[in-house]
Amino acid sequence: MQGTFAINLARIAIIVAILALWEVLSRTGIINPRLLPSASDTFVTLGDLLQRAAVQKDLMVTAAEVLAAFAMAVPFGAVIGFLVAENRYFADVAKPLLFFAFSIPKSIFLPMFILVFGVGFAQKVGFGFFSTIFIVIMSTTTAVESVKVEHLTVARSYGATPWQTAFRVYLPSMLPVLLEALRISMIFNLTGVILAEMYASRDGIGHQIATWGENFQMKQLLAGVVMVAAIAMTFNELVRWVEARCSHWRT
Amino acid sequence: MSAKTLRHLIVIGLIVLWELLPRTGLIPELFLPSLSSTLIAGWTDAAEYGHALAVTLYEVVVSMAFACGGGILLGAIVGSLPRPRVLIMPMVSSLYAVPLVILYPVFTVWLGIGSESKIAFASIYGFLPTMLATAAGIQTIDPQLLLAARSMGATLSQRLVRVIMPAAIPTVLSGLRVGGALVIVGVVVSEMLISSAGIGYLISRYRTILDSPHVFAGVLLVLFLAITFNAAIRWIERKAAIWQTGTRAGHANDEMASGAMQPAT
Repeated sequence: MQGTFAINLARIAIIVAILALWEVLSRTGIINPRLLPSASDTFVTLGDLLQRAAVQKDLMVTAAEVLAAFAMAVPFGAVIGFLVAENRYFADVAKPLLFFAFSIPKSIFLPMFILVFGVGFAQKVGFGFFSTIFIVIMSTTTAVESVKVEHLTVARSYGATPWQTAFRVYLPSMLPVLLEALRISMIFNLTGVILAEMYASRDGIGHQIATWGENFQMKQLLAGVVMVAAIAMTFNELVRWVEARCSHWRT
Repeated sequence: MSAKTLRHLIVIGLIVLWELLPRTGLIPELFLPSLSSTLIAGWTDAAEYGHALAVTLYEVVVSMAFACGGGILLGAIVGSLPRPRVLIMPMVSSLYAVPLVILYPVFTVWLGIGSESKIAFASIYGFLPTMLATAAGIQTIDPQLLLAARSMGATLSQRLVRVIMPAAIPTVLSGLRVGGALVIVGVVVSEMLISSAGIGYLISRYRTILDSPHVFAGVLLVLFLAITFNAAIRWIERKAAIWQTGTRAGHANDEMASGAMQPAT
Protein backbone atom coordinates (compact mmCIF):
# COMPACT_ATOMS: atom_id res chain seq x y z
CA MET A 1 0.00 0.00 0.00
CA GLN A 2 2.87 2.30 0.89
CA GLY A 3 4.24 1.77 -2.63
CA THR A 4 1.07 2.67 -4.50
CA PHE A 5 0.59 5.73 -2.34
CA ALA A 6 4.10 6.95 -3.13
CA ILE A 7 3.59 6.27 -6.84
CA ASN A 8 0.32 8.18 -6.89
CA LEU A 9 1.97 11.04 -5.05
CA ALA A 10 4.79 11.09 -7.62
CA ARG A 11 2.26 11.10 -10.47
CA ILE A 12 0.38 14.02 -8.97
CA ALA A 13 3.71 15.80 -8.51
CA ILE A 14 4.52 15.32 -12.22
CA ILE A 15 1.15 16.74 -13.27
CA VAL A 16 1.49 19.70 -10.90
CA ALA A 17 5.02 20.34 -12.19
CA ILE A 18 3.80 20.39 -15.81
CA LEU A 19 0.98 22.79 -14.97
CA ALA A 20 3.37 25.01 -12.99
CA LEU A 21 5.83 25.08 -15.88
CA TRP A 22 3.01 26.02 -18.24
CA GLU A 23 1.92 28.81 -15.89
CA VAL A 24 5.45 30.17 -15.38
CA LEU A 25 6.42 30.08 -19.07
CA SER A 26 3.35 32.07 -20.00
CA ARG A 27 3.33 34.49 -17.04
CA THR A 28 6.98 35.48 -17.36
CA GLY A 29 6.56 35.97 -21.09
CA ILE A 30 9.21 33.41 -22.12
CA ILE A 31 6.51 32.19 -24.45
CA ASN A 32 4.21 34.87 -25.77
CA PRO A 33 1.01 34.67 -23.66
CA ARG A 34 -1.00 35.28 -26.79
CA LEU A 35 0.33 32.02 -28.18
CA LEU A 36 0.22 30.17 -24.88
CA PRO A 37 -2.24 31.63 -22.37
CA SER A 38 -1.37 30.62 -18.84
CA ALA A 39 -2.83 27.50 -17.26
CA SER A 40 -4.95 29.46 -14.80
CA ASP A 41 -6.46 31.59 -17.59
CA THR A 42 -7.20 28.47 -19.59
CA PHE A 43 -9.02 26.82 -16.69
CA VAL A 44 -11.02 30.00 -16.00
CA THR A 45 -12.00 30.06 -19.68
CA LEU A 46 -12.92 26.39 -19.48
CA GLY A 47 -15.28 27.20 -16.60
CA ASP A 48 -16.87 29.99 -18.65
CA LEU A 49 -17.24 27.77 -21.71
CA LEU A 50 -19.00 25.06 -19.78
CA GLN A 51 -21.64 27.62 -18.72
CA ARG A 52 -22.37 28.65 -22.29
CA ALA A 53 -25.46 27.17 -23.90
CA ALA A 54 -23.80 26.96 -27.33
CA VAL A 55 -20.91 24.87 -26.00
CA GLN A 56 -23.26 22.64 -24.04
CA LYS A 57 -25.26 22.08 -27.22
CA ASP A 58 -22.08 21.20 -29.13
CA LEU A 59 -21.12 18.70 -26.46
CA MET A 60 -24.58 17.13 -26.64
CA VAL A 61 -24.35 16.86 -30.43
CA THR A 62 -20.96 15.18 -30.22
CA ALA A 63 -22.13 12.86 -27.45
CA ALA A 64 -25.17 11.86 -29.53
CA GLU A 65 -22.99 11.12 -32.57
CA VAL A 66 -20.48 9.15 -30.53
CA LEU A 67 -23.19 7.11 -28.80
CA ALA A 68 -25.08 6.43 -32.03
CA ALA A 69 -21.95 5.24 -33.82
CA PHE A 70 -20.91 3.18 -30.80
CA ALA A 71 -24.35 1.60 -30.38
CA MET A 72 -24.28 0.47 -34.00
CA ALA A 73 -20.66 -0.55 -34.36
CA VAL A 74 -20.36 -2.66 -31.20
CA PRO A 75 -23.22 -5.18 -31.70
CA PHE A 76 -22.61 -5.36 -35.45
CA GLY A 77 -18.88 -5.88 -35.07
CA ALA A 78 -19.35 -8.31 -32.19
CA VAL A 79 -21.66 -10.53 -34.27
CA ILE A 80 -19.25 -10.57 -37.22
CA GLY A 81 -16.31 -11.21 -34.92
CA PHE A 82 -18.15 -14.04 -33.22
CA LEU A 83 -19.02 -15.68 -36.55
CA VAL A 84 -15.45 -15.34 -37.76
CA ALA A 85 -14.05 -16.89 -34.59
CA GLU A 86 -16.54 -19.76 -34.35
CA ASN A 87 -16.40 -21.00 -37.94
CA ARG A 88 -13.02 -22.30 -38.99
CA TYR A 89 -13.50 -22.06 -42.74
CA PHE A 90 -15.01 -18.58 -42.53
CA ALA A 91 -12.11 -17.56 -40.31
CA ASP A 92 -9.54 -18.79 -42.83
CA VAL A 93 -11.26 -16.85 -45.59
CA ALA A 94 -12.04 -13.64 -43.77
CA LYS A 95 -9.19 -13.11 -41.32
CA PRO A 96 -6.48 -11.89 -43.69
CA LEU A 97 -9.01 -9.61 -45.39
CA LEU A 98 -10.06 -8.20 -42.03
CA PHE A 99 -6.45 -7.74 -40.96
CA PHE A 100 -5.85 -5.84 -44.15
CA ALA A 101 -8.95 -3.67 -43.72
CA PHE A 102 -7.88 -3.11 -40.14
CA SER A 103 -4.38 -1.95 -40.96
CA ILE A 104 -5.20 0.59 -43.67
CA PRO A 105 -5.71 4.18 -42.55
CA LYS A 106 -9.41 4.96 -42.22
CA SER A 107 -9.32 8.73 -42.11
CA ILE A 108 -8.56 9.15 -45.80
CA PHE A 109 -12.01 7.73 -46.53
CA LEU A 110 -13.60 10.65 -44.72
CA PRO A 111 -14.20 12.63 -47.95
CA MET A 112 -16.16 9.65 -49.27
CA PHE A 113 -18.59 9.90 -46.35
CA ILE A 114 -19.15 13.55 -47.14
CA LEU A 115 -19.79 12.74 -50.80
CA VAL A 116 -22.32 10.07 -49.83
CA PHE A 117 -24.05 11.48 -46.74
CA GLY A 118 -23.43 15.21 -47.14
CA VAL A 119 -22.36 17.23 -44.13
CA GLY A 120 -24.44 16.28 -41.12
CA PHE A 121 -25.29 13.84 -38.39
CA ALA A 122 -25.32 10.76 -40.66
CA GLN A 123 -21.85 11.49 -42.04
CA LYS A 124 -20.29 11.65 -38.56
CA VAL A 125 -22.09 8.59 -37.30
CA GLY A 126 -21.18 6.75 -40.49
CA PHE A 127 -17.53 7.64 -40.20
CA GLY A 128 -17.48 6.86 -36.47
CA PHE A 129 -19.03 3.48 -37.25
CA PHE A 130 -16.52 2.83 -40.02
CA SER A 131 -13.52 3.70 -37.87
CA THR A 132 -14.75 1.58 -34.95
CA ILE A 133 -16.15 -1.58 -36.52
CA PHE A 134 -12.87 -3.23 -37.50
CA ILE A 135 -11.35 -2.97 -34.04
CA VAL A 136 -14.56 -4.41 -32.55
CA ILE A 137 -14.42 -7.35 -34.97
CA MET A 138 -10.76 -7.99 -34.19
CA SER A 139 -11.24 -7.75 -30.42
CA THR A 140 -14.29 -10.01 -30.39
CA THR A 141 -12.33 -12.61 -32.32
CA THR A 142 -9.59 -12.44 -29.71
CA ALA A 143 -12.16 -12.60 -26.92
CA VAL A 144 -13.81 -15.74 -28.30
CA GLU A 145 -10.42 -17.35 -28.80
CA SER A 146 -9.58 -16.66 -25.15
CA VAL A 147 -12.34 -19.07 -24.05
CA LYS A 148 -10.61 -22.26 -22.95
CA VAL A 149 -11.62 -25.40 -24.81
CA GLU A 150 -11.34 -27.47 -21.60
CA HIS A 151 -13.94 -25.29 -19.89
CA LEU A 152 -16.31 -25.83 -22.80
CA THR A 153 -15.72 -29.58 -22.74
CA VAL A 154 -16.36 -29.76 -19.01
CA ALA A 155 -19.54 -27.71 -19.32
CA ARG A 156 -20.77 -29.89 -22.15
CA SER A 157 -20.00 -33.16 -20.43
CA TYR A 158 -21.92 -32.03 -17.35
CA GLY A 159 -24.86 -31.38 -19.65
CA ALA A 160 -24.94 -27.58 -19.65
CA THR A 161 -27.62 -26.03 -21.83
CA PRO A 162 -26.49 -23.57 -24.57
CA TRP A 163 -27.73 -20.69 -22.38
CA GLN A 164 -25.73 -21.93 -19.44
CA THR A 165 -22.66 -22.30 -21.64
CA ALA A 166 -23.13 -18.78 -22.95
CA PHE A 167 -23.56 -17.13 -19.56
CA ARG A 168 -21.41 -19.34 -17.33
CA VAL A 169 -18.51 -20.12 -19.65
CA TYR A 170 -18.34 -17.72 -22.58
CA LEU A 171 -19.30 -14.50 -20.82
CA PRO A 172 -16.99 -14.74 -17.78
CA SER A 173 -13.96 -15.72 -19.87
CA MET A 174 -14.66 -13.10 -22.50
CA LEU A 175 -15.54 -10.24 -20.17
CA PRO A 176 -12.04 -8.87 -19.47
CA VAL A 177 -11.12 -8.91 -23.16
CA LEU A 178 -14.47 -7.42 -24.09
CA LEU A 179 -14.06 -4.56 -21.63
CA GLU A 180 -10.63 -3.85 -23.03
CA ALA A 181 -12.18 -3.90 -26.50
CA LEU A 182 -14.90 -1.53 -25.38
CA ARG A 183 -12.30 0.90 -24.10
CA ILE A 184 -10.17 0.83 -27.24
CA SER A 185 -13.12 1.02 -29.60
CA MET A 186 -14.42 4.04 -27.69
CA ILE A 187 -11.06 5.74 -28.27
CA PHE A 188 -11.30 4.97 -31.98
CA ASN A 189 -14.90 6.07 -32.11
CA LEU A 190 -14.32 9.40 -30.36
CA THR A 191 -11.32 10.17 -32.57
CA GLY A 192 -13.33 9.34 -35.69
CA VAL A 193 -16.28 11.53 -34.75
CA ILE A 194 -14.14 14.48 -33.66
CA LEU A 195 -12.02 14.29 -36.80
CA ALA A 196 -15.18 14.21 -38.92
CA GLU A 197 -16.47 17.26 -37.07
CA MET A 198 -13.23 19.14 -37.53
CA TYR A 199 -13.10 18.29 -41.21
CA ALA A 200 -16.53 19.48 -42.29
CA SER A 201 -19.34 20.27 -39.93
CA ARG A 202 -21.78 22.86 -38.66
CA ASP A 203 -21.87 21.80 -35.02
CA GLY A 204 -20.20 19.57 -32.47
CA ILE A 205 -17.24 20.20 -30.21
CA GLY A 206 -14.69 19.23 -32.86
CA HIS A 207 -16.09 21.88 -35.18
CA GLN A 208 -15.97 24.41 -32.36
CA ILE A 209 -12.31 23.63 -31.63
CA ALA A 210 -11.39 23.95 -35.31
CA THR A 211 -13.17 27.32 -35.46
CA TRP A 212 -11.38 28.64 -32.38
CA GLY A 213 -8.12 27.58 -33.99
CA GLU A 214 -8.92 29.39 -37.22
CA ASN A 215 -9.83 32.54 -35.30
CA PHE A 216 -6.67 32.44 -33.16
CA GLN A 217 -8.75 32.31 -29.96
CA MET A 218 -6.02 30.54 -28.05
CA LYS A 219 -7.71 30.60 -24.64
CA GLN A 220 -10.86 28.98 -25.91
CA LEU A 221 -8.86 26.58 -28.09
CA LEU A 222 -6.70 25.35 -25.23
CA ALA A 223 -9.72 25.16 -22.93
CA GLY A 224 -11.47 23.04 -25.55
CA VAL A 225 -8.46 20.74 -25.87
CA VAL A 226 -8.29 20.32 -22.09
CA MET A 227 -12.04 19.63 -21.99
CA VAL A 228 -12.00 16.90 -24.65
CA ALA A 229 -8.84 15.36 -23.20
CA ALA A 230 -10.42 15.29 -19.72
CA ILE A 231 -13.59 13.63 -21.03
CA ALA A 232 -11.63 10.99 -22.96
CA MET A 233 -9.31 10.23 -20.06
CA THR A 234 -12.15 10.01 -17.56
CA PHE A 235 -13.99 7.46 -19.67
CA ASN A 236 -10.78 5.52 -20.18
CA GLU A 237 -10.00 5.38 -16.47
CA LEU A 238 -13.59 4.43 -15.66
CA VAL A 239 -13.50 1.39 -17.95
CA ARG A 240 -10.04 0.46 -16.67
CA TRP A 241 -11.34 0.58 -13.13
CA VAL A 242 -14.19 -1.78 -14.04
CA GLU A 243 -11.64 -3.93 -15.87
CA ALA A 244 -9.52 -4.20 -12.73
CA ARG A 245 -12.55 -5.22 -10.69
CA CYS A 246 -13.40 -7.96 -13.21
CA SER A 247 -9.88 -9.28 -13.48
CA HIS A 248 -10.45 -12.03 -10.93
CA TRP A 249 -12.35 -13.84 -13.69
CA ARG A 250 -9.32 -13.90 -15.89
CA THR A 251 -7.97 -17.41 -16.06
CA MET B 1 -12.64 -24.88 -52.45
CA SER B 2 -9.71 -23.90 -50.29
CA ALA B 3 -9.93 -20.79 -48.16
CA LYS B 4 -7.20 -19.13 -50.15
CA THR B 5 -8.90 -19.43 -53.54
CA LEU B 6 -12.18 -18.21 -52.09
CA ARG B 7 -10.35 -15.25 -50.61
CA HIS B 8 -8.77 -14.41 -53.95
CA LEU B 9 -12.17 -14.74 -55.60
CA ILE B 10 -13.65 -12.30 -53.06
CA VAL B 11 -10.91 -9.76 -53.76
CA ILE B 12 -11.32 -10.12 -57.53
CA GLY B 13 -15.09 -9.91 -57.11
CA LEU B 14 -14.79 -6.68 -55.12
CA ILE B 15 -12.59 -5.12 -57.79
CA VAL B 16 -14.99 -6.17 -60.55
CA LEU B 17 -17.92 -4.80 -58.54
CA TRP B 18 -16.06 -1.54 -58.08
CA GLU B 19 -15.88 -1.24 -61.85
CA LEU B 20 -19.37 -2.54 -62.65
CA LEU B 21 -21.63 -0.98 -60.00
CA PRO B 22 -20.83 2.64 -60.90
CA ARG B 23 -20.80 1.82 -64.65
CA THR B 24 -24.29 0.36 -64.57
CA GLY B 25 -25.49 3.25 -62.41
CA LEU B 26 -26.43 1.14 -59.38
CA ILE B 27 -24.21 3.41 -57.31
CA PRO B 28 -23.97 7.04 -58.49
CA GLU B 29 -20.55 7.97 -59.88
CA LEU B 30 -20.46 10.79 -57.34
CA PHE B 31 -20.42 8.30 -54.44
CA LEU B 32 -18.09 5.76 -55.96
CA PRO B 33 -16.37 6.47 -59.28
CA SER B 34 -15.46 3.33 -61.21
CA LEU B 35 -11.95 1.98 -60.88
CA SER B 36 -11.07 2.84 -64.48
CA SER B 37 -12.20 6.47 -64.23
CA THR B 38 -10.28 6.82 -60.96
CA LEU B 39 -7.10 5.50 -62.55
CA ILE B 40 -7.59 7.70 -65.62
CA ALA B 41 -8.12 10.76 -63.41
CA GLY B 42 -4.94 9.95 -61.54
CA TRP B 43 -2.97 9.29 -64.71
CA THR B 44 -4.00 12.47 -66.57
CA ASP B 45 -2.99 14.63 -63.60
CA ALA B 46 0.05 12.54 -62.72
CA ALA B 47 2.30 15.60 -62.56
CA GLU B 48 0.05 17.29 -59.97
CA TYR B 49 -0.16 14.13 -57.88
CA GLY B 50 3.57 13.58 -58.20
CA HIS B 51 4.27 17.06 -56.88
CA ALA B 52 1.84 16.57 -53.99
CA LEU B 53 3.42 13.20 -53.25
CA ALA B 54 6.85 14.81 -53.00
CA VAL B 55 5.57 17.33 -50.43
CA THR B 56 3.82 14.63 -48.41
CA LEU B 57 6.81 12.29 -48.53
CA TYR B 58 9.13 15.03 -47.29
CA GLU B 59 6.83 15.69 -44.33
CA VAL B 60 6.48 11.98 -43.63
CA VAL B 61 10.22 11.37 -43.61
CA VAL B 62 10.99 14.28 -41.26
CA SER B 63 8.17 13.41 -38.85
CA MET B 64 9.16 9.76 -38.91
CA ALA B 65 12.67 10.69 -37.81
CA PHE B 66 11.21 12.62 -34.87
CA ALA B 67 8.43 10.20 -33.92
CA CYS B 68 10.27 6.92 -34.34
CA GLY B 69 13.64 8.18 -33.15
CA GLY B 70 12.20 9.78 -30.04
CA GLY B 71 9.63 7.05 -29.45
CA ILE B 72 12.09 4.18 -29.71
CA LEU B 73 14.69 5.94 -27.58
CA LEU B 74 12.30 6.96 -24.81
CA GLY B 75 10.46 3.65 -24.99
CA ALA B 76 13.73 1.78 -24.56
CA ILE B 77 14.69 3.88 -21.55
CA VAL B 78 11.29 3.68 -19.86
CA GLY B 79 10.90 0.01 -20.71
CA SER B 80 14.24 -1.10 -19.31
CA LEU B 81 14.13 0.82 -16.03
CA PRO B 82 11.50 -0.55 -13.64
CA ARG B 83 10.89 2.59 -11.60
CA PRO B 84 9.99 5.01 -14.39
CA ARG B 85 8.00 2.25 -16.03
CA VAL B 86 5.66 1.79 -13.08
CA LEU B 87 5.43 5.54 -12.70
CA ILE B 88 4.99 6.69 -16.27
CA MET B 89 3.45 3.88 -18.34
CA PRO B 90 -0.08 4.16 -16.89
CA MET B 91 0.03 7.91 -17.47
CA VAL B 92 1.17 7.48 -21.04
CA SER B 93 -1.48 4.92 -21.86
CA SER B 94 -4.07 7.18 -20.29
CA LEU B 95 -2.81 10.00 -22.49
CA TYR B 96 -3.21 7.64 -25.41
CA ALA B 97 -6.99 7.78 -24.93
CA VAL B 98 -7.06 11.45 -25.89
CA PRO B 99 -8.05 12.06 -29.52
CA LEU B 100 -4.85 13.79 -30.54
CA VAL B 101 -6.40 15.35 -33.60
CA ILE B 102 -7.74 18.19 -31.42
CA LEU B 103 -4.13 19.34 -31.01
CA TYR B 104 -3.78 20.12 -34.70
CA PRO B 105 -5.47 23.56 -34.50
CA VAL B 106 -2.99 24.48 -31.76
CA PHE B 107 -0.09 23.60 -34.06
CA THR B 108 -1.53 25.60 -36.95
CA VAL B 109 -1.77 28.64 -34.68
CA TRP B 110 1.81 28.20 -33.51
CA LEU B 111 3.49 27.11 -36.70
CA GLY B 112 1.30 28.26 -39.57
CA ILE B 113 -0.25 26.13 -42.28
CA GLY B 114 2.98 25.06 -43.94
CA SER B 115 4.93 21.85 -43.52
CA GLU B 116 6.03 22.65 -39.97
CA SER B 117 2.60 22.20 -38.39
CA LYS B 118 2.12 18.88 -40.20
CA ILE B 119 5.52 17.63 -39.08
CA ALA B 120 4.84 18.64 -35.47
CA PHE B 121 1.40 17.02 -35.47
CA ALA B 122 2.47 13.79 -37.19
CA SER B 123 5.48 13.46 -34.89
CA ILE B 124 3.28 13.65 -31.80
CA TYR B 125 0.75 11.36 -33.46
CA GLY B 126 3.29 8.65 -34.12
CA PHE B 127 5.32 9.16 -30.95
CA LEU B 128 3.10 7.72 -28.20
CA PRO B 129 2.27 4.37 -29.85
CA THR B 130 5.90 3.88 -30.89
CA MET B 131 7.00 4.53 -27.35
CA LEU B 132 4.37 2.20 -25.89
CA ALA B 133 5.24 -0.57 -28.35
CA THR B 134 8.97 -0.24 -27.72
CA ALA B 135 8.60 -0.13 -23.95
CA ALA B 136 6.37 -3.22 -24.04
CA GLY B 137 8.79 -5.00 -26.37
CA ILE B 138 11.91 -4.25 -24.33
CA GLN B 139 10.34 -6.08 -21.41
CA THR B 140 10.03 -9.26 -23.47
CA ILE B 141 13.84 -9.57 -23.68
CA ASP B 142 14.68 -12.81 -21.93
CA PRO B 143 16.32 -11.82 -18.58
CA GLN B 144 18.31 -15.07 -18.67
CA LEU B 145 20.27 -13.79 -21.65
CA LEU B 146 21.29 -10.76 -19.65
CA LEU B 147 22.04 -12.87 -16.61
CA ALA B 148 24.20 -15.23 -18.64
CA ALA B 149 26.11 -12.34 -20.19
CA ARG B 150 26.69 -10.74 -16.83
CA SER B 151 27.79 -13.91 -15.12
CA MET B 152 30.32 -14.50 -17.89
CA GLY B 153 31.73 -11.08 -17.14
CA ALA B 154 30.45 -8.99 -20.01
CA THR B 155 30.96 -5.27 -19.60
CA LEU B 156 28.07 -2.87 -19.90
CA SER B 157 28.98 -1.87 -23.46
CA GLN B 158 29.35 -5.53 -24.45
CA ARG B 159 25.98 -6.30 -22.95
CA LEU B 160 24.43 -3.40 -24.84
CA VAL B 161 25.94 -4.22 -28.22
CA ARG B 162 25.87 -8.01 -28.06
CA VAL B 163 22.73 -8.75 -26.07
CA ILE B 164 20.31 -5.90 -25.69
CA MET B 165 20.55 -4.44 -29.17
CA PRO B 166 20.15 -7.68 -31.13
CA ALA B 167 17.34 -8.77 -28.81
CA ALA B 168 15.62 -5.42 -29.21
CA ILE B 169 15.67 -5.34 -33.01
CA PRO B 170 12.28 -7.02 -33.54
CA THR B 171 10.75 -4.63 -31.03
CA VAL B 172 12.29 -1.61 -32.65
CA LEU B 173 11.08 -2.76 -36.05
CA SER B 174 7.51 -3.27 -34.91
CA GLY B 175 7.68 0.14 -33.23
CA LEU B 176 8.86 1.57 -36.51
CA ARG B 177 6.00 -0.13 -38.36
CA VAL B 178 3.31 1.16 -36.01
CA GLY B 179 4.79 4.62 -35.70
CA GLY B 180 5.49 4.97 -39.41
CA ALA B 181 1.95 4.02 -40.40
CA LEU B 182 0.62 6.58 -37.93
CA VAL B 183 2.96 9.26 -39.18
CA ILE B 184 1.65 8.74 -42.73
CA VAL B 185 -1.92 9.03 -41.44
CA GLY B 186 -1.06 12.07 -39.32
CA VAL B 187 0.51 13.92 -42.23
CA VAL B 188 -2.34 13.18 -44.63
CA VAL B 189 -5.04 14.00 -42.07
CA SER B 190 -3.45 17.31 -41.18
CA GLU B 191 -3.11 18.12 -44.87
CA MET B 192 -6.77 17.33 -45.32
CA LEU B 193 -7.77 19.66 -42.49
CA ILE B 194 -5.83 22.85 -43.19
CA SER B 195 -3.01 23.17 -45.70
CA SER B 196 -1.91 24.40 -49.08
CA ALA B 197 0.03 21.44 -50.48
CA GLY B 198 0.30 17.66 -50.38
CA ILE B 199 -1.93 14.70 -51.18
CA GLY B 200 -4.34 15.39 -48.33
CA TYR B 201 -4.79 18.91 -49.65
CA LEU B 202 -5.54 17.57 -53.15
CA ILE B 203 -8.12 15.15 -51.74
CA SER B 204 -9.84 17.94 -49.84
CA ARG B 205 -9.76 20.36 -52.76
CA TYR B 206 -11.26 17.88 -55.20
CA ARG B 207 -13.82 16.92 -52.57
CA THR B 208 -15.05 20.52 -52.32
CA ILE B 209 -15.65 20.65 -56.09
CA LEU B 210 -17.27 17.16 -55.97
CA ASP B 211 -14.77 15.64 -58.40
CA SER B 212 -14.90 12.11 -56.99
CA PRO B 213 -12.56 10.36 -59.47
CA HIS B 214 -9.79 12.72 -58.42
CA VAL B 215 -10.65 12.26 -54.73
CA PHE B 216 -10.39 8.51 -55.10
CA ALA B 217 -7.16 8.77 -57.06
CA GLY B 218 -5.68 10.61 -54.06
CA VAL B 219 -7.12 8.08 -51.61
CA LEU B 220 -5.63 5.23 -53.67
CA LEU B 221 -2.26 6.95 -53.67
CA VAL B 222 -2.25 7.25 -49.87
CA LEU B 223 -3.36 3.63 -49.52
CA PHE B 224 -0.56 2.59 -51.83
CA LEU B 225 1.91 4.58 -49.73
CA ALA B 226 0.71 2.99 -46.47
CA ILE B 227 0.69 -0.54 -47.88
CA THR B 228 4.15 -0.17 -49.45
CA PHE B 229 5.58 1.10 -46.19
CA ASN B 230 4.01 -1.73 -44.24
CA ALA B 231 5.28 -4.33 -46.70
CA ALA B 232 8.79 -2.88 -46.66
CA ILE B 233 9.06 -3.03 -42.88
CA ARG B 234 7.62 -6.54 -42.86
CA TRP B 235 10.24 -7.59 -45.37
CA ILE B 236 12.99 -6.20 -43.13
CA GLU B 237 11.35 -7.87 -40.15
CA ARG B 238 11.53 -11.25 -41.88
CA LYS B 239 15.16 -10.64 -42.82
CA ALA B 240 15.93 -9.78 -39.20
CA ALA B 241 14.01 -12.77 -37.87
CA ILE B 242 17.25 -14.64 -37.11
CA TRP B 243 17.65 -12.33 -34.13
CA GLN B 244 14.28 -13.23 -32.77
CA THR B 245 14.72 -15.15 -29.57
CA GLY B 246 11.36 -16.82 -29.34
CA THR B 247 10.18 -14.67 -26.47
CA ARG B 248 7.38 -13.24 -28.48
CA ALA B 249 3.88 -14.63 -28.47
CA GLY B 250 2.27 -16.11 -31.57
CA HIS B 251 2.10 -14.12 -34.72
CA ALA B 252 -1.64 -13.43 -34.54
CA ASN B 253 -1.30 -12.06 -31.03
CA ASP B 254 1.51 -9.80 -32.10
CA GLU B 255 -0.64 -8.50 -34.93
CA MET B 256 -3.44 -7.80 -32.51
CA ALA B 257 -1.18 -6.03 -30.06
CA SER B 258 0.27 -3.70 -32.63
CA GLY B 259 -3.19 -3.17 -34.04
CA ALA B 260 -4.53 -2.06 -30.71
CA MET B 261 -1.79 0.52 -30.67
CA GLN B 262 -3.13 2.16 -33.78
CA PRO B 263 -5.31 5.14 -33.08
CA ALA B 264 -8.49 5.35 -34.99
CA THR B 265 -8.05 7.30 -38.07
